[in-house]
Amino acid sequence: MSAILPATDTPFPDGQLVMVEPVSFTGTGAEYFRIWITNTFLSIITLGIYSAWAKVRRTRYFYGNTRLAGASFDYHGEPKAILKGRALALLLLVAYQLFSEMPGLLAGALALLLIAALPWLIWRSLQFKLYNTSYRSIRFGFGGSVSGAYVAYLLWPAIASLTAFLLAPMAHQRIKRFQHSESRYGASRFCFDARVGRFYMLYLKAFLVFMAGVIVLGLLLFGLQVALGKRGMALEAYGGTLVFMAVLYAWVMLMYPVFNAMLQNLVWNHTAIGPHRFESRVAPGRVAFITLTNLLAIVCTLGLYMPFAKMRLMKYQLESVALLVDGSLDDFVADAQARAGATGEGVADLLDFDLSL
Amino acid sequence: MSIHAAYFDGKTSRRYRVVLTVEGDVASISGEASRRCPLSQLRVSEASRHGTRLVTFPDGAYLEIEDREGFARMLAATGHTDGLVSRLQQSWRATLLAALAMAAIIALLWRFALPVAADLVATMLPSSVESRLGDATMQALDARLLDASRLPEEQQQHIRTRFSTLAASTADTPHFELLFRKSRIGPNALALPAGRIVLTDELVLLLADDEDALMAVLAHELGHLHHRHMVHRLVHGAAVGAAGMALFGDASGLVAALPPLMLDLHYSRNAEREADLYAAHWLKAGGLSAASLAAALERLNGAKDDKPAYLSTHPATAERIARLCKLR
Repeated sequence: MSAILPATDTPFPDGQLVMVEPVSFTGTGAEYFRIWITNTFLSIITLGIYSAWAKVRRTRYFYGNTRLAGASFDYHGEPKAILKGRALALLLLVAYQLFSEMPGLLAGALALLLIAALPWLIWRSLQFKLYNTSYRSIRFGFGGSVSGAYVAYLLWPAIASLTAFLLAPMAHQRIKRFQHSESRYGASRFCFDARVGRFYMLYLKAFLVFMAGVIVLGLLLFGLQVALGKRGMALEAYGGTLVFMAVLYAWVMLMYPVFNAMLQNLVWNHTAIGPHRFESRVAPGRVAFITLTNLLAIVCTLGLYMPFAKMRLMKYQLESVALLVDGSLDDFVADAQARAGATGEGVADLLDFDLSL
Repeated sequence: MSIHAAYFDGKTSRRYRVVLTVEGDVASISGEASRRCPLSQLRVSEASRHGTRLVTFPDGAYLEIEDREGFARMLAATGHTDGLVSRLQQSWRATLLAALAMAAIIALLWRFALPVAADLVATMLPSSVESRLGDATMQALDARLLDASRLPEEQQQHIRTRFSTLAASTADTPHFELLFRKSRIGPNALALPAGRIVLTDELVLLLADDEDALMAVLAHELGHLHHRHMVHRLVHGAAVGAAGMALFGDASGLVAALPPLMLDLHYSRNAEREADLYAAHWLKAGGLSAASLAAALERLNGAKDDKPAYLSTHPATAERIARLCKLR
C-alpha cells in the first residue's frame, strides 16, 4: 500500500526518502444504507432522543473505515453529551422563534446575542470534535483560545463584510489558519503555512471558472435558441430566460463542491504535523461530476440512494489525501492534560455548520 | 485460540505487532508488547463488513484486528454477542422492515397528527401575531406585485356593499376586510392572514358582466379565511420542511426541499377544495348558486393554461367545476 518515492518537492530539502501513505476508505454504500435506515428509524420512534446515539454510531463507522498507514481512526463522542448539546440548540431555536415574534428591538437584541454566541459554540464544537477523535490511540485536540475564536469567527467576517468582501479571502485564510494551526495530535501541533495570497488566488480561480461556465452555458443556450428558431420552435423571451435561470442555478449549485475541492487541496497541501506533510489531490471536475450524478440518482430513487451518494463522495474526498511520512509515525506522544467539554458539538450539529475539518 | 493484532498503548503512536490469546476469562497479548486483562473489562467495537475491529482496554489502549473471520470465531468462543442495534444494522431483512415501518409512521404522522398539531397552533397563535403576519404579507405584495386600484370609488363601494349584505345573511362569516388593488400578475383574488381579502382590478373587469361570479370568488376567499388556511399552511410547511431537512439534509438542501415542496402543493390543492366547498354553502345561504363559482372559474381558466396537477397550487379547473356541479 505504501510506495517509496525520492523527495523532489521543496518540503524535503535535504533529499531524504519519504513514504507516501494514502488514506483509504473502506465504507460502502450498502452497509451505510443499513446503518442509516436502522438509526433513522430508531431516532423517529424515540422522538429524536436516539439521534445522539445514531450520530456516534455513524461517526464511528466513518472513522473506523478510514485507514492511514495501517491504522484506523476512532471516535469517542459521548451520546449523552451530544444529546445535551442538541437539547440546548433546540432550546435556542425555539427561544429565537418565540422572541422573533416580539417587537423589533427585542428580536434584534436576541439575534445579536446569538451572533455573539456563535464563535463560542464553534470553539466548543472544534474542541469536542477533535478531542473525541483518535488515531493510533492518541487523541487529537484543539488548543485555540476563545478570544482567538472571536477574532477568527466574528472579527474577520465583520471586517470582510465591511470592506464589501474584498477582504473575504483574507478572512477565510485567518479562519482556516486558526482551525489548522491550533489543532493538536497528542502533544504535537499541526502547522499551517498557506499564505493570504494563496486564498486570493483560490477565489480568483473559482471566479474565473464560474464566469467561464456562465459564458459557455449562455452561448450554448443562445445557439440552441437560434437553431430552434430556424425550425420555428424557439422559446419565447420569458421561457428562454426561465431556462437560462434554471441552468445558471444548477451551475451555482455545482460551484459549491468545486470550490470546496479547491479549498481542500489548498488547505491540506499547506498543513503539516511535525516533519510529515499532507497532500491533497482532489480533481474539482471529478467532484462536480460525482455531485451531479449523486443528485440525479437521489432524485430518481426517491432518496434511497442518499447513503450510497454520501459514501461515494466521502471515499473520493478521503482517498485523494495522503500523508507524506518523513521518518516514523511511531513517535507521537499523548497530551496528558487534554480534556474537552461537550456542549458545542450538538449545537453546531443542529445549526448545521460546515466546519470542514 | 490466538490471532494477530496491532496494539496501541494510548501513550505513544507506536504500532506494536502482537498475538492475542484468550484463555478462560482472560485475554493476553504477547510479542512486541505484553499485557493481560479480564475479558469483562474489554470493550469490543461494532462489526462492519470491511473495517477493522477494536478491542479497547479500560485505560484507552486498544488492539486493532484485521483478521475478521479469526476474530469472529474467537468472539463466538468467548460467548460474546453483538448489541441489538449492531445486529439490526447488519441485516438486510431488519433494514427493510425498518424502512417500511418508517415510511408508515411518517405517512401516518403527516396524515393524522400534523393536521391536529396545525389546528392547535392556529388556535393558540395570538391574534396579534396573525395580524402582524398579515401586515407583513400585505407590505410585501404591495411592494412587488400590486399597485393602487384604478377602479372608480363608486364601483368599489358597490361591490363592498353587495358583499357585506350577503355576508350579513350568513351566520359564520369570518371577520374580513376587502381591499382593491391593481395587479401586475393578472386577474386574481387573495386571502391573507387576519382577514384581508385582496381583489384585483383585472378580476373585477373580467367578471364585470357577472356580479354573482365575483361574489362567488370572494366567497371562495372567505373559505380560506374561515379555515385559516394561511396559518395552517405555515405550520404544515415548517413541519414537513424540518422533516425533509432531518431525513435528506445530508445530501443537499435542494434535494431536502423537494419532498416538502410537493407536500406543500398537495396541501394547497386540498385547501382550494375546502374553500370551494365553503363558498358553495355560503353562496347557497345567501340565495346564490354554486354555479356562479363554476362560471367564475371557467372565465379565469380562459386567462391561463394548465400545468400538470401535481406541480400546481390549485386543482385542475375542470375537476373543481365538476365538484361544484355535484353540490348543486
